[in-house]
Amino acid sequence: MRSREGELVTEDRTTPEAGAPIIKTGGLYKHYGNIRALEDVDLDVRPGVTGLIGANGAGKTTLIRLVLGLIRPTYGQISVFGTPVAEDPAGLRERIGYMPENKCLPLDQTAADFVAYAAELGGIPPVEARRRASETLFLVGLHEERFRYLGDFSTGMQQRVKLAQSIVHDPELVLLDEPASGLDPAGRDQMLELIARFREFGMNVLFSSHILDDIERTCDWVVMLDAGRLIHSAPLDPPGEGDRLSVEVFGNPHPLVDALARQGVSATLDGAVVTVVTRSEDAFAVMRDALESSGSSVRRLGTSLSRLEDVLVAAARKANG
Amino acid sequence: MADSPETYRDEAIIVDRGYRHYDGTRTGRRGAVRAIVREGFRRVMGLRRKAKRKLLPWTLIVVALSSVVILVAITWATTQTPASDELADLVPRYRGYFDFISVVALLFAAYAGAQLLIPDRADGVLNVYFSRPLAVRHYLIGKALAYATVILSFWLVPQVLLHLGLAALSREGFLSYLGRTTDILWQVPLAALAYFVLHASLSFLTASFINRVGAAAAAFLIGSLGLNLVALFFQEAADDTPGSRWVALLATEQHPRYVSDWIFGVHESAEWIPAQAGFGPGISLAVIVGLAVVSAALVGWRYRRLT
Repeated sequence: MRSREGELVTEDRTTPEAGAPIIKTGGLYKHYGNIRALEDVDLDVRPGVTGLIGANGAGKTTLIRLVLGLIRPTYGQISVFGTPVAEDPAGLRERIGYMPENKCLPLDQTAADFVAYAAELGGIPPVEARRRASETLFLVGLHEERFRYLGDFSTGMQQRVKLAQSIVHDPELVLLDEPASGLDPAGRDQMLELIARFREFGMNVLFSSHILDDIERTCDWVVMLDAGRLIHSAPLDPPGEGDRLSVEVFGNPHPLVDALARQGVSATLDGAVVTVVTRSEDAFAVMRDALESSGSSVRRLGTSLSRLEDVLVAAARKANG
Repeated sequence: MADSPETYRDEAIIVDRGYRHYDGTRTGRRGAVRAIVREGFRRVMGLRRKAKRKLLPWTLIVVALSSVVILVAITWATTQTPASDELADLVPRYRGYFDFISVVALLFAAYAGAQLLIPDRADGVLNVYFSRPLAVRHYLIGKALAYATVILSFWLVPQVLLHLGLAALSREGFLSYLGRTTDILWQVPLAALAYFVLHASLSFLTASFINRVGAAAAAFLIGSLGLNLVALFFQEAADDTPGSRWVALLATEQHPRYVSDWIFGVHESAEWIPAQAGFGPGISLAVIVGLAVVSAALVGWRYRRLT
């Protein structure tokens, strides 16, 4: 249920009745001539923020275009919010926002004009569209710059405008195609923080990326495509569970391994690199104590963020036999 | 006693405005098409754009309006001479006005068509449009309506001013003149419609297949005027070539003029190339309609492929 117009609220639309899938595909194929963009994809996208990961050409953009009803499947079914896309593609698009990967901004328009126009195209009346454009640009941090021409914006600012146009008409599902591409690390962080906030706005997100770190930081479910095939669809572990911390030490690493064992933490050894996987929320404290008691000197230390990578590599290996 | 400033300062808080859901009515495809028309009008006129984008359209509009002022001024000058009626007949009005600013109108039509279609493709904005509840046909209908708005305004606003100017100068009195010339009220819009349909067909066709505004506008102008020359050549220098008569129909720029004469009841239209080749104005009208149909099919095909 939505809020009354004008009320400033956050609302949870990510947990609809019965937790029905937002997007559901069955035996989905899409061929472009001899090119098989998607093959036999059976997928349920649950409410929340879902990461869609895969290399270039894996079929991510094709899947997004099928969800939007811009192209038709060669075979198979696809439904959004329980409605087959082929039945009412335009009606469904009123409830969907889309941020394309490629350039999609008229450089001779101001941010406020363009986002208001995007709202009107999404069915918002003109006066309300201007108000929502202003609010949405405030949300993405461009309120002060809203009357500047888009051609004068930096890449990061343009990405924010692209994001703003995708949510200005209050969609229930937002499709983000590589939203952080072309951004510097700081800009990427800000973009991912914004996307993470969509959850509290009650929006469901399908977030396409080929950067595992982005997906891991933002999503609660991950879907992986490889050469058009679905090879993995599962929830991400909640943060803090199974954190992995690696330390490379000067000299003999065994005293450190022994010290960790005394604390009840098992470690793996790879050359001089000691790695612990702990469900403790304070892996650093465990490692600090072990280093102190063993007298080991640290050459390098860091968390390993490759849990998702491990999962996906294993999935890809399994899929490829 | 009023609260002190300190009191207000204590109460002031910075709030995260969060996100506001929209629960009002949705305008659907009609609203989206209206938005495309409005935005298309602004784009052609350079409204809400930088000053350099306003230069060309407003220069052409000023020329069109200035020509009306000149025509009314000339009409006023003729009323000050003894042979005023004979001289007044030489001043272009209504039908003549279409010919009087035809080159300016052709430039405006070329620019408007290219501006309406090409930047959306060049900037990649179609990706955004078609993620909204719009189909290709709605987009193109919106663009055609925007074109109609600017082109018909370009033709009709000066004609209205001319009509009022001539009525004000009329010896028989303002209201009597308006009452006597009611035919103008349907003849001028109908003639403008003929020009609009032809210009829309050709400028949308060129703008759909050429990706630069300047190049598409130039192609439209060269095509329109160049085909006139080809038709004229076959009509006058190679009239013994088999089938040369039909080449006259390629003089696309001449068809709305011929049809315009027909609408205004002018029967001496031998100056137009299709007339010289022996075609009636009905054939010219059919050519305009045929071009519109073919153009709509090709533009639609092109945009379906793009999306």
